Amino acid sequence: MCSRSDQWSVLGGRWSAVSVMTAVALLLLGCERENRRFSENPPTASPTASALVVSQLQPGPAVVRPQVEAPYDDNAWAVSEGKMLFNAMNCSGCHFQGGGGIGPPLMDAEWIYGSEPDQVFSSIADGRPNGMPAWKYKLSTQQIWELVSYVRSLSSLIPKGARNGRDDHMMTKPPESSTPQTKPKMASTPPEDD
Amino acid sequence: MARGPRCVEHARRASRRVASGILAVAVAGCAGSQNVLDPAGPPNRSVNHLFWAMLIVSSIIWVAVVVAALWALISRRRRTREDLEPVVIVPNERHRREVGIVTGLVGATVVILLLFLVYDFTVGRALAERPSRTLTIELIGHQWWWEVHYIDPDPSKLMVDANELHIPAGEPVQVKLSSQDVIHSFWVPNIIGKRDLIPGYTSSLFLDADKPGVYHAQCAEFCGLEHAKMALPVIVHSRADFTAWLAEARSPAAEPSDSSAAEGKKIFLAGTCSSCHAVTGVEAYGTIGPNLTHIGSRRTIAAGTLPNTRGNLGGWIVDPQSIKPGARMPSNQLAGKDLRNLIDYLETLK
Amino acid sequence: MLARGRTRCAHHCWRGIVAIAVATTLLASCKGDREREPTRLALVARPGPATTGGDTTARFSDDGQWVRPGKDFQGTRFSGLTEINNQNVQNLRAVATFSLGTTRGVEAAPIVSGTTMYIVTPFPNFVYALDLTQPGLPTKWTYKPRPVNASQGVACCDVVNRGLVVDNGKVIFNTLDGRTIALDAATGKELWITQVGNINIGESVTMAPLVVKGRVIVGVSGGEFGIRGWLKGLDENSGNVAWTAYHTGPDKDVLIGPNFKPFYKSDTAKDLGVNSWPPDQWKIGGAGVWGWVTYDPELDLIYYGTSNPGPWNPEVRPGDNKWSATLFARRPETGEAIWAYQLSPHDQHDYDAVNEDILVDMPWKGQRRKVLLRPDRNGYFYVIDRQTGEVLSAEPFGFINTTTGVDLKTGRLQYNPEKATRTGETVLYSCPAAPGAKDWQPSAYSPRTGLVYIPHQNLCMDEEGVEPNYIAGTPYVGTNVKMYAGPGGHRGLFDAWDPVGQHVVWSIKEDLPVWSGALVTAGDVAFYGTMDGWFKAVDARTGKPLWQFKTGSGIISQPMTYRGPDGKQYIAVLSGVGGWSGAIVAGGLDARDSSAALGFVNAMKDLPKKSTKGGMLYVFAL
Repeated sequence: MCSRSDQWSVLGGRWSAVSVMTAVALLLLGCERENRRFSENPPTASPTASALVVSQLQPGPAVVRPQVEAPYDDNAWAVSEGKMLFNAMNCSGCHFQGGGGIGPPLMDAEWIYGSEPDQVFSSIADGRPNGMPAWKYKLSTQQIWELVSYVRSLSSLIPKGARNGRDDHMMTKPPESSTPQTKPKMASTPPEDD
Repeated sequence: MARGPRCVEHARRASRRVASGILAVAVAGCAGSQNVLDPAGPPNRSVNHLFWAMLIVSSIIWVAVVVAALWALISRRRRTREDLEPVVIVPNERHRREVGIVTGLVGATVVILLLFLVYDFTVGRALAERPSRTLTIELIGHQWWWEVHYIDPDPSKLMVDANELHIPAGEPVQVKLSSQDVIHSFWVPNIIGKRDLIPGYTSSLFLDADKPGVYHAQCAEFCGLEHAKMALPVIVHSRADFTAWLAEARSPAAEPSDSSAAEGKKIFLAGTCSSCHAVTGVEAYGTIGPNLTHIGSRRTIAAGTLPNTRGNLGGWIVDPQSIKPGARMPSNQLAGKDLRNLIDYLETLK
Repeated sequence: MLARGRTRCAHHCWRGIVAIAVATTLLASCKGDREREPTRLALVARPGPATTGGDTTARFSDDGQWVRPGKDFQGTRFSGLTEINNQNVQNLRAVATFSLGTTRGVEAAPIVSGTTMYIVTPFPNFVYALDLTQPGLPTKWTYKPRPVNASQGVACCDVVNRGLVVDNGKVIFNTLDGRTIALDAATGKELWITQVGNINIGESVTMAPLVVKGRVIVGVSGGEFGIRGWLKGLDENSGNVAWTAYHTGPDKDVLIGPNFKPFYKSDTAKDLGVNSWPPDQWKIGGAGVWGWVTYDPELDLIYYGTSNPGPWNPEVRPGDNKWSATLFARRPETGEAIWAYQLSPHDQHDYDAVNEDILVDMPWKGQRRKVLLRPDRNGYFYVIDRQTGEVLSAEPFGFINTTTGVDLKTGRLQYNPEKATRTGETVLYSCPAAPGAKDWQPSAYSPRTGLVYIPHQNLCMDEEGVEPNYIAGTPYVGTNVKMYAGPGGHRGLFDAWDPVGQHVVWSIKEDLPVWSGALVTAGDVAFYGTMDGWFKAVDARTGKPLWQFKTGSGIISQPMTYRGPDGKQYIAVLSGVGGWSGAIVAGGLDARDSSAALGFVNAMKDLPKKSTKGGMLYVFAL
């Protein structure tokens, strides 16, 4: 009996250590995804706000602009808040659930004004000439960033873990978490040299 | 080695002290605005009576049973030293008496339980009665606030309010419950028990209060991060007061008279407020947040979280996340003067 | 013996002669009937001379013009020209084309006045004047109104324009950003511009104006944006607004005065435009006007209907919601309301009442009556007395399960409670779908056949109510919709309806919704276009297809016919798919989201394969 318990304790010790480490690793992975950052004010655009360009065309040799991070692309809670805002602020009235209508579709790979986070931020905050209203006086910066991540999730440009699953409404399309990622067209980064 | 009379006396005194202490605490908890033991209406009162009747009768029986059990233990103990005779079951008089006692007690129990059953049934039947003509109120639950509609067959008399429920005393009010997002539950302990607000479904209950006052209702079904801060003051008016209140509440918001409130109204309309909030009579028709037509006369803000004072209102507008993290209301960076004007305007919305 | 034989022979012969004579007579009369397939003995409306009243002088004589989309004030879209008829229409060929320079849905009718053809395009609302005297129809002038680009963001159903009007040497039309513009018809110079709509509160203008007695009648679009709908009468010479009639609010705003005499009791109480709504809800209650206005010169009344109430979700607005989905009769000079009838009280399914009211005089139960004929969104073909507003008949012309009928005693539409739209619930298989059994696409009436030629659709939908939020300038709908083909699987129909017998006489099923207008001529030919670009001519009496031509893009415009400067008859139509039904192509929408374009995308997933964008004028002749 003694030896078995020794065996068990040895096994238990080893296994428990492994399982504890695995659990910790998984928890750490989920940390950012589930982090609720309720009151914060991310900057209006990246630290290099002046890096925003909307056109793919630059005269002369192109400058590769710095990568802009969206503060909430990894944050599932923020993306679900983005979805709530998308419906509450009537974005779905023109864009529906990404298929488009009065406004262009947001779930396809075509981005008229660019798919990068700061470009999408500008589309929402500044509006666009052919009918997109300007929301900068009506939404806080944090809310617009949440919308940016949600809009990008409609064409699955953000990590799968952060995208929304099914909701309790009439299902009109597969949830974003089941949609495969698309490569955005009309991205602002110039094509690489062959 | 039997317990001396003084020991027994001491035990009795001690137990009496404990009992009276418990009673004192219980009685102290019997008053208050969020207290099921302080009924404010006939149905709750009858439930209370049932409760107390059952409690008292059961307590007496319980005490008697405990005493009998203790006595059995003690007396048995006293006897075993001397009586080591084998137990012989002989159907004699003593045995018959014992059987008689047991039968009698069982019979008494059945009778008492039957009486309880009948009493419970009659109270239940009375509660389940549907009064014919009643005021109807629709209560719609949101995360984490209450939307209140005062219904009238004439649609132009519909009144929308939030985070406060006003009802008249002395008449049953039908409250229709539904939810916009997750399951909530409406519970006003002084008046009625819990009823869930279920999305996609309308349930109903009847509130019947006869004691005017302010009572505290609470969301009683976990509904998210701020479930604990989803309270609802229920204000019971006398019939006359209620009619006056409803007539006043139906009128649209008055035009602000002083300049700071007028400035505040401009900020309200042009800024972020009108996208989510509505004020009757003004070009604000938002339905995402509570209707603010009567914010100035509410006792609390943020669904019972804070008393409605200038400071609290200002703090709520500027940084709601520090008060109720996760609430839908975003922070609004307003300059001091703008904030003061806005609060001045909101205070005029009585 | 011979005598007896001769007598017998004569008797037989005499019988034979009579038989032959009778047979010949019968055969002779049969010849006339050969054109009509004897499917039913339909009692056809025989309107008699000048049924279209006012405009034309002799029976079916026609000046060969087409100065407004409806052709005449009565909106018959009937031409008296007979050169092209059901015997020779198969020889029709394209003789001229003109590119509009646009890629959105083209809903307008080409207009011909004198020797010039005028066309207004979808956004950006170019106006072209084409010289019909020269081969190839060169442009005489072009006008570019430059509507505000942002107005594209407040047009619910593609940035269309339903046509212009020529009157008194002026070309008058509306722009998407809410301006009514009058140009000199000869030179294209601006005469006046009046701003009537405000895009910041969701208003836009897509309708074709009507000019009556010096008043330009203009209405507003935006039932999906929570506008407060109105109809205005502008002075034709100055452009100043002479009157504005709102369709919600107190009676004085609705221009309901002492002469207002609705036929039904439920339309009579005071200030119904306020009392049939929750407080303040009428201010964002929709009820615009973006469809057809017709006019009776004898009675001096204009007839038109109002759009859906806003939002689509009815739980937010208990009450009848007057005066949404209501047919009005008003005086054109003052806008004063004379009678009104609410076709769909407390509408639950976006059944706008903006469809055309064709004015005819026809026999009804033994009497000749002045009626209007209206195939409505809610699926009923109404025959309404246009003097009083009494509903004489309302029979379904499509499959309906959202309502069970119209109670002719009270005039009230009877709703099916199972199909009511509720917040948080999805109701399946509601028919007709939101575009109705027929949307704006106008039908035509032939006084020769007495039939109404109805282009329409067969669609059903699933609807889910959600809580709507009002933010000015953004959509205010509150319903998720998914549409699909109705029973039978065909999404479109071109029907000939007998308004007196109240039934279909012949019907042509089409795969795609028939979203174009109808044209019918005295040559007994009816024309319509399909959304994959086929422009079709059918026999007006039998429905037999006679001719078709494949245009470059789907047809959702209104075909018309005119007599050219050379005396020949021409047929003209514009192609260019779009509109609400063609939004998937016009907007490049994604078919994976079945709620896109208010649910229409789901019903039109195959359209991108069948039509591309474009905008072109086609003119045909023999």
